[in-house]
Amino acid sequence: MQEATFLILTALAAGSQHGYGIIADVAQISDGRVQLRAGTLYSALDRLRIDGLITVDREEIVENRLRRYYRLTPEGSAQLAAEAERVQSNAATALARLGPAGRVAG
Amino acid sequence: MSEAVRLERGYRLWLRCYPRSFRREHEDEMLAVLMAGAGKDRRRLQVAECVDLLIGAVVTRLRPRVPRAQRSVFTAVKLMYIGAMLELATAITLLATLSQVRSNVVTSDPGLTVAAWNAVVTAQIDPLLISAGVAVVLWLCMASAYGRGKRWPRIVFAMFFAATTWSLLTGLSRGSFVYAPTDLAMAAVLWLLELAVFVLIVRQALQKLAFARSRLARARTG
Repeated sequence: MQEATFLILTALAAGSQHGYGIIADVAQISDGRVQLRAGTLYSALDRLRIDGLITVDREEIVENRLRRYYRLTPEGSAQLAAEAERVQSNAATALARLGPAGRVAG
Repeated sequence: MSEAVRLERGYRLWLRCYPRSFRREHEDEMLAVLMAGAGKDRRRLQVAECVDLLIGAVVTRLRPRVPRAQRSVFTAVKLMYIGAMLELATAITLLATLSQVRSNVVTSDPGLTVAAWNAVVTAQIDPLLISAGVAVVLWLCMASAYGRGKRWPRIVFAMFFAATTWSLLTGLSRGSFVYAPTDLAMAAVLWLLELAVFVLIVRQALQKLAFARSRLARARTG
């Protein structure tokens, strides 16, 4: 799973969000390292929706503009959990092998 | 015209790069996100935004619009794009090796005149180049349509595969192995790729058929 996809799913894990909310949340989750733009975001959202990992939750009109909220599907939650466990396991292995000296150097 | 209206028009223009079906679904919300990201002070589109929209549009146009779980469709579409590139490479190889082919033909037939060679080019090489150009477009159209779940690429691809097989066998019977080995090798690689796509398409069709039959059987028993 690509990092942007992982972060988008993570942003939606806490509840439904609209496009701009996802962009802001992803920037916050990644400490500003990942700045999604509209083209990348909607390309990913479209893909995730086709794969059945997210779905449209509701729509609102705010200041004459459409806001569509997305949420995770049960399959999306399961895939995110599996990916998070995989990443966590890899990170734990890396940190264990580095030992205390490696952690300080990093 | 206000700056905001001009900015919105600019965004709408870039969003036109996306497929119509995608725009119908996402244009308004994308525009809302773009305008929110621009804030009140921005007057012009940023180059990075335009590049991002352009890349997004290309990805959306090329990517299969079926669930990733349908691996055979995904692989077939990828191979079709590779096929388009290979077809182009075959045409370029044909042009690049034309003088080598001519010298090979002259070796086997020393009496070949310029007029006779020109006749060979007109009768055999030119149609091959034209058909390669048509094939590139066809590969791209089939990849795009098959990735969107259309049925026609299955039939067209079967005909396309039959035509390529016939063309390859005709070339072999004319002795292309002797005077155009590089072109023949490229054609053989392309044929193998087509065979792989054909197998994937047939497998997907058989899977669909089996699924439909089992559903029908369940409905009858239920």
